[in-house]
Formats: sequence, structure tokens, C-alpha cells
Amino acid sequence: MSLTSGRRPRGKRVRSHEAGAGWLFTAPVLVVLGLFLALPVGMAAWVSVSNWSGAGSPFSSDVSFVGGANYSELLAGGGLVTQDFGTALRNNLWYVLLVVPTQTVLSLGLAVLVGRQAIRGRGFFRTAFYFPSVTSSVAITVVFLFLFGASGSVNAALAKLSVDGPNWFNDPRGVLHLLLGAVGLDQAPEALASSGALGVSWWEWLSGPSVAMSTLIMLAVFTTSGTFMLLFIAALQNIPSEVNEAAMVDGANAWQRFRRVTLPQLRPTLFTVLTLGLIGTWQVFDQIYVGTQGDPAKTTVTPAYLSYTASFQQQNWGQGAAIAFILFAIIIVFTILQRAALRERTTVPRRKRYVVPASARPGEGGRP
Amino acid sequence: MRSPRPLALLACLATLSLTAACGGGSGFESDEAPEQQETTAAAGPVSLQVMIGSSGPAETDAVTAAVDAWASETGNEVEVIAATDLNQQLSQGFAAGSPPDVFYVSSDLVAGYANNGSLLPYAGELENAGDFYPNLVEAFTVDDEFMCAPKDFSTLGLVINNASWEAAGLTEDDLPTTWEELRDVATTLTTGDQVGLVTSAEYQRLGAFMAQAGGALVTDGAATVDSEANLEALQYVQSMLADGSMQLTGQVGAGWGGEAFGTGKAAMTIEGNWIAGAMTADYPDVDYQVAPLPAGPDGEASLSFTNCWGIAAESPSQAAATELVAFLTTPEQQMEFARAFGVMPSVEAAQEDFISEFPGFAAFVEQGDVAVTVPNAEGVSTVVADLNSQLQGLPDGDAAAILSSTQANLEAALG
Amino acid sequence: MTATTTSARSAAAPPSAPTQRRRAPRPGRAFLYVLLLAIAAVYLFPFLIQLASAFKTESDAANNALSLVPHPFSLAAFEQLFTRSDFPLWTMNSVIITLCVTAGRVFFNSMAGYALARLRFRGRGAVFAAIVAVMAVPGVVLLIPKFLVVNQLGIYDSYAGMILPLLADAAGVFIMKNFFESIPRSVEEAARIDGAGTFRIYWSVVLPMARPAIVTLVILSFQGSWNELAHFVVSRSDPDLNTLTTGVAALAAGSLGQGTQYPLKLAAALLMTIPVAVLFFVFQRQIMATAEGAVKE
Repeated sequence: MSLTSGRRPRGKRVRSHEAGAGWLFTAPVLVVLGLFLALPVGMAAWVSVSNWSGAGSPFSSDVSFVGGANYSELLAGGGLVTQDFGTALRNNLWYVLLVVPTQTVLSLGLAVLVGRQAIRGRGFFRTAFYFPSVTSSVAITVVFLFLFGASGSVNAALAKLSVDGPNWFNDPRGVLHLLLGAVGLDQAPEALASSGALGVSWWEWLSGPSVAMSTLIMLAVFTTSGTFMLLFIAALQNIPSEVNEAAMVDGANAWQRFRRVTLPQLRPTLFTVLTLGLIGTWQVFDQIYVGTQGDPAKTTVTPAYLSYTASFQQQNWGQGAAIAFILFAIIIVFTILQRAALRERTTVPRRKRYVVPASARPGEGGRP
Repeated sequence: MRSPRPLALLACLATLSLTAACGGGSGFESDEAPEQQETTAAAGPVSLQVMIGSSGPAETDAVTAAVDAWASETGNEVEVIAATDLNQQLSQGFAAGSPPDVFYVSSDLVAGYANNGSLLPYAGELENAGDFYPNLVEAFTVDDEFMCAPKDFSTLGLVINNASWEAAGLTEDDLPTTWEELRDVATTLTTGDQVGLVTSAEYQRLGAFMAQAGGALVTDGAATVDSEANLEALQYVQSMLADGSMQLTGQVGAGWGGEAFGTGKAAMTIEGNWIAGAMTADYPDVDYQVAPLPAGPDGEASLSFTNCWGIAAESPSQAAATELVAFLTTPEQQMEFARAFGVMPSVEAAQEDFISEFPGFAAFVEQGDVAVTVPNAEGVSTVVADLNSQLQGLPDGDAAAILSSTQANLEAALG
Repeated sequence: MTATTTSARSAAAPPSAPTQRRRAPRPGRAFLYVLLLAIAAVYLFPFLIQLASAFKTESDAANNALSLVPHPFSLAAFEQLFTRSDFPLWTMNSVIITLCVTAGRVFFNSMAGYALARLRFRGRGAVFAAIVAVMAVPGVVLLIPKFLVVNQLGIYDSYAGMILPLLADAAGVFIMKNFFESIPRSVEEAARIDGAGTFRIYWSVVLPMARPAIVTLVILSFQGSWNELAHFVVSRSDPDLNTLTTGVAALAAGSLGQGTQYPLKLAAALLMTIPVAVLFFVFQRQIMATAEGAVKE
């Protein structure tokens, strides 16, 4: 983002009517952002350290400050609350670990396939791949519920191949456990079963996503790959063709050219896609709310959904708000980690990535 | 360059509707708020909101009709809202300070609402307070205070598809009275495309087996989940799941037992009397009968469920709300509900009428004597929800582990 | 329906970029097309199934889940949707809210974007920094707090409470600001010399020139508010204020009687997809360009 572009050369006379108009013009946005973004965060911060039980105003006198009690019960309470939170983290972690790389690789692959000038029906393919991204999460979840139902389309197709499909949305078994079971390891090793974190044993942490969660993972990849594909296509088009041609002259084959020439140039876009992917996947809520409500066996509960149920169904508002803040922290930490990981190997100086040449800046405005 | 006009027009139109609609929205809100405050006194007509967690159109229509009758009789205005998610909408209402005046509360949630001061403890002062079944009164009593009037109650029974029953060559004498007989008939009824017995993987169904084995979640206020009896019950269920004569609803792709039963995926199911409404509405062609649940090692047992008519402590029209509830809990009105959506009246006076009118449902009523309710202490509902999520893994799960983790959770919740 | 339009459209549309070099067909190329067609089939299949199943009877949908031809053809799902549910009401609410949010966002964001791009005033840097900062807050974190604030402001369960919070859109300010910076200043200077005030210049000179950016904003806002679920779950509970997202979510949870009722749910999902699909096809090229712009930002 063009952080530096907000600045103008100083010394020019600031016209007084512009000062008034400037505030006037930005006022609506500032008021709305303040009221519905800044203020809520403040209120939620208070609720997360209070014992508000959901009746009456959280600022009334009978609501008191409880310090970090809500946080410590979540992280170290050891009871059902901690266990639920641990389970939700486990579920979402697997979701992130599988969705983010898959959607990135798939969207890059699709972009490379349809980004070429010489493909016929490019428009059709782009449209087909992008269309799932514009539909509402509610609508597409309903469709997936049908496709992956016990006697749904997917299992009907599998049956034609004489495969007995699983009961997708109702199968709580972890995929990794199933794989381990297939090689004969169906009992938890003592070391993994007896200890754990957040009330969930290491063996359970290593269960992998449940079959039901895997369905939601496919859903996420299906609905996001199109958007990211467009980002990659645009980035590919920005790569000067001379670079590739020079490499071709040097005798590099297609894979070498992709690996050595194209990929390094895509680093900023890769960065954007990974960041957006991380932020998006840690917030998964709609699909759970519409599709599974956390079932089966809590294997599709995510922190975002847990925060919702804790507050809106069990009236543990303090806990719900605390979960939201922990989730916020997780997103920030993951984004920082991922930035650090990508930055290490980059040769572009840090500042340069944010400075965009003026000619490129209009972006969406630059259509013919 | 194309003309920008159509777009400008669109923007204008949209802006216009923005001002109109948004203004309309907030105006609507500000009109209503003062009106509610003015009617704090019971005198004069008031307007009430009734929020129900409806099982379907039949229930919504019946409650609306009853409430409308009361409204026109008393000159008050009442609006019935069928909640999509009752818990969530009540929580939001309480937090917003504008809860509905009258609403359903299930027995496992009553303690939570009572303890944070959301409920008005009015039921003890009702004229017909003494008419309710004692175990229902107990279900809605928190700290010795009778919070709200039981709306009705339901018990679990064994629902049997008559066509499958006869096709398998079974007669009335074969109705199962013990666990062994249940296993036998379920095995007999299991065919290529029909499972003998299907029910949901939740305490609210499988708990009946626990009770039949003599187990309970809570005994005298202490958690007794990891008892031998409960383990025996779950192992019995597991053995039936293993031999294929029984499956859980998730395994056959049904949302609940009634669906599995109505669509013919199951020859028998364990469900409550609410199944009648669904059978009439969705599966009118399926001929069925209801038998008492079989007895376990510790004798006959079932589970019973009940909702009450909660009144919000913050309701500005509490007197009118109480009158409405008194009207809705009369034996006559409860029989109307029974006819419409199959629930059983919560007052003993209506029992005979019910049995004579619905002889096919006598089994449900009889189960009332041996049925236990889900414990109502605060915090139990989340433990039961966790138990249910673990029961979904029962087919390949470790029954003892499920019980011991629930034991720990329940001990923590009961404090 | 959506899927058939897709193919019809793109078949009719000329290839978007002229091919520079014609190559003789090679096995590798054939394989590429087969691969692309296979992936496209996977991407379109769910929508085709949805379209077909919406017109099936319940038992047909359950027993022939893979069939793309309804047999028998049935409109029962749609009939039920319009007679037994509040689908028309949800549609109306969605339309009202989406129009309000879209109009509001376009107006407010373009004003703020213009001010940040062009007007010199004390505190501009701070305003910009604040907008960047709030962009970093993930939406789900705000679920509970938004309810608390909407409730505290007394606009819970009203259109206002459903619309106003959605007007907060920092990304839109960004897009507009970037666009205005690309317009040459000379146009405004000319108007200024003619004595036009700041609002006049913004409204009748700058805004008409911003058509491409506004279209982008309209698409993003429309799609965003039409598809919004979480905010409408927490900002209302009155069933009369259900939008298509909350209404269909309730349908999916079985609010219209028992059973799977897949044709009904799929029909509802199909209908609610149509407006965004139409928008998508009308502004297809613009949308593709939007993404490209996002990269360049």
C-alpha cells in the first residue's frame, strides 16, 4: 500500500477553506470508522476484563472489573472452556495450514495456465474459476451441504467408481488419524496421549482436520482461488517480457524460467496473497454458522465461532470478547511471522516495496 | 468516453433510497421505544411480544391463534415471533435491554437466565401454580423459587414403522420390553436399505439407556457420570452400533430421528411426542405406533423434556404477560396445543382428556411416571453439549473415556 | 442458470487479447486444454447441480443427486419459497440495505478519498494513518463489539443499525484516494479559477471523471453488503429484518419444517446468487481490472 503517498511537498500555502473542507469531507468516514470500529474495540476490551453477564448495560455499576480472569480461564483454566478453546485452535490451525498453501499454489497454477496470451477461451476459463468467489458464502455453503451430503452428488459419483464415500459433514474422524490408522497406528502412543496443551492431548492436536473440516477446506479453496488467481494474473502481466525472453535465449527451460525468473518477480503478490489468506482463514465463521454449527464432535468449531457462541448463546460475554482479542493477537503474530519468513530471502530493500511508481498507482482507474 | 449519466442516476437513486430507508428504519425504532415505556402500568391495553422456538408451522400457527384469541378478548396487542435461534435471540434481547415479554425457556437453561436476573419469578403466584406435575415444577425451580410456568412436556418413546414391523413378521407380542428384545427386533428389522433403530447421538436420546441401567448425570447434586451403569448403557449402544442393528442419525444422513424414520431409513426410532407433528406434516403416508421404551437392567426409564413460559424481568407489562401465561396454561388451551403439535399438557387435570383423545400416545404419557429430566443446574447445558459432541464419535469411541471426561467437566461446572 | 450464462457469454465474447504467435497444435497444448476444461468442469459442476436440483422433487434430489436433469421437473421449491417463507421480504431488505450501503460508501469514500488526495489540511497525515490502522482490524473480532455499540446507540434491530456500521470501509477510501491522485490537477484548477467552491469541484468536476473507480467501488460494496452475514446476525433479531443471507441461513438450518428439503434450500441459494451474478457479468471486465489494480497499489 502506498503509505508514502499521503505526503505532499511542504511549504505550499495551506488554503484555509481547504482545511475546513478537508475535515468536512473526511468527517463522515471518520465518524463511522470511529463509531463502528474504534469504539467497539474499546468496548470489547472492557467487556473482556469484566464479568458482564449479558443483562443490562455493560457499563452499569453492578458490572465489575475482573482483570485477566476471562483470559486465564481460557488459556489456563484447565476445564471445559480451555478444552473448547484448544479444540477450536486445533481445528482452525489445520484449516489454515491446509487452505493457505493450497489456495496459493492452486491460484498461481491457474493464473499461469490462463495468464498466457495464446490460450483460446481465456475469458471463459477466468470466468469459470472466478465465479465461485462472487457468490455469497451462505449460498455456496448450502450447495456444498448438498454436494457432500450422505447421499449427495459427491458420494453418488464415488459410488459409480465403486468407492463408498464417507458421510462428509457428519464424520468427526481426523484425517491424519485415519491415515495413521491405515498403516496400523490406531492407538495413541502413551507419550502423546498423556500430555497436551490447552486441555487437548498432543495426539488430538495431531488428528488433522476432521473429514467434515476437510469439506470446509475444499469449500474455502474453491471460493478463494479465483480471486487470488486474478491477483497473480495481473502480476504476471506486469513482468516485462524481455526478462523471460532473455532467459529463454540463455537456454533456460520452462520450469527454470518459472522458478528463477517469474517467481522472484511475483514475491510482492505472493506476499499479498499469503497475508490475505492468513487473515481470511483465521476468521472463518460464515461456513460454520450456516453449515456445521461446530459439529460433528466440535471438530469444526473455530475461535471465531466459539467467540460467537460463548457470547450470544451462553451469555459468557467476557469470554467471547477475550477469545476475539486472542484471535486478533494470533492473526497479528502469524502475519508478522510470515512477513519475516518472506523478507529474509528477498533482495528488494524493504522501503522499495511500498513505493509505487506514480504511473502504476491509479491501478483500477487505468482501464481503456 | 462513455457518458457518466446512467451511473450518476444510479448513485442519486441509491442516495435517495438511503435517506428514505435509513431514515425510515431509525424512525420506526424511535416510535416504538417510548410507547413501551408508557405502558408500564398494567391498566389499559398493552402490546406484548411472545418469542417461541417453534418446531414448525403447526406450532407457530397454534400459538399465534391462542395468543390472538387472548388479545382480542382482553384488548391487548400481541405479536408472536418464531425465533430462528431462540437462545441467541434471547441473549441479544437481554443484552439489548429489550427482550420479548414472554418466551420459551427450556429447563436446562432456566438456571442461567434466573441467576443473571433476566427472568421474572412469577410462577409461584399463578392461580394454577398447584396444578402442574410436581417434577415439572421442580425442573423450573431455582434456589427454591418457582420461576416460570411449565408450558407442556414431552417424553421419549419407541416409535415403530408398522409396515416394516409386519413385513418382518413381527406381532404385538414382539414389542420389546428388555434390552435383549430390543436388540432382537432391531436385528430382525434391519434390511438392505433400512436400519432397525436410528436415533440421534445425544444425551437427550441415549440418556434414556443410562437411566434404564440405573445411571444419571447428577445424583443428589453431585456428578455421577462415570458410573458402572452409564458405562453399561453406552457399551450396550455401542454393541448395537457394531452389529449394524442400530445407527446414529448422522450415519444415515438424517438431521434427526424423525427424518430417518419418516424417510424410511429407519424402522424404529427413539423420539419424543413432537414427532407426531412432523409425521402428519411431512410424512403423512407412514403408518406408525408408539411403544414404551424397553426396560434396562434397572427397570423402565425414559427422559422427559419441558419448556416453560418465561417472562422477562425487564418487561414493562408484567401483569399482562402473567395473565397471558395463565390463559395459555389452562387445560383447555393446552389440549389445543396437544391437538396442533403433539405436546402433552403440563397440568395433571388434562391427562385423562389427553389419553382418551390420543390413545396412540398413551405410551408417551405412561413414560411420564418413569421419566427423568435433564439436570437444570447452571453450566450443565454446556457440559451436556460437550457430552453430545463426544457421543457423535461413539461408534468408534471409548465409552469409558467419554464418561470420565464428562465427569470431570460436570464436577467443575457444579463447583 | 448462472453457469449457462457463463458459457454463452464467453463463447460470444472475442478472446480478450489478440494472440501474438500462432503455434501449430502440439500434444502438450492439447493436454493443456484438457486440463483446463477438466478444472473448469470441477468449478462449474456445483452450480450446475444447484441449478438442476432446485427444480427437482425432494426424492429426486435425494436419490439422483448426480443427475443434471430434473425428473420430474418441479417448481414446488420455488412455490414454497414464495408462499410459505418470507423470501420476498428478505429480498426487499437485502435490496434496501445493499442500495443504502453502496450509495453511502460511494459518496462518503469518494469524499474522503478526494480530501486525502487533494485538499491540504492540518491532520491529514493523522487521518490517513488512522484509516490504515483500522484496516488492519479483522472483521470477526468486531462481531461482539459491534453488537455492543449498535445496542448502546439504540439502533439495534433497525435498518440504521444494519446499514451504518457497514459504511465503515477503509479500503474504499484507499481506492478513491489512489484514483484521484491519478487525475491531473489542471482540470480542477480551471474550475477553481472560474470561482467554483470545493464541493462544486468535487461533485461536478472530479466525481464524473471518477467513473471507473466508482464502478469498482459499486461492485465491491454491492457484493460485500449483499453477501454479508455475520453483521446481520448480530445487529438484529426481528424476523422482519431478515436479509437473504440470514433468512437462507435459517432455511439451511431447517426453519421451514423438518427434513433435508434440498431443492428448497438450493432454490433459495440460487435466487440469492442471481443479482451478484448479473453484476458480475455486466462488469466482468471491470472486475478483472479491479484485481489488477489491487496488485499495483
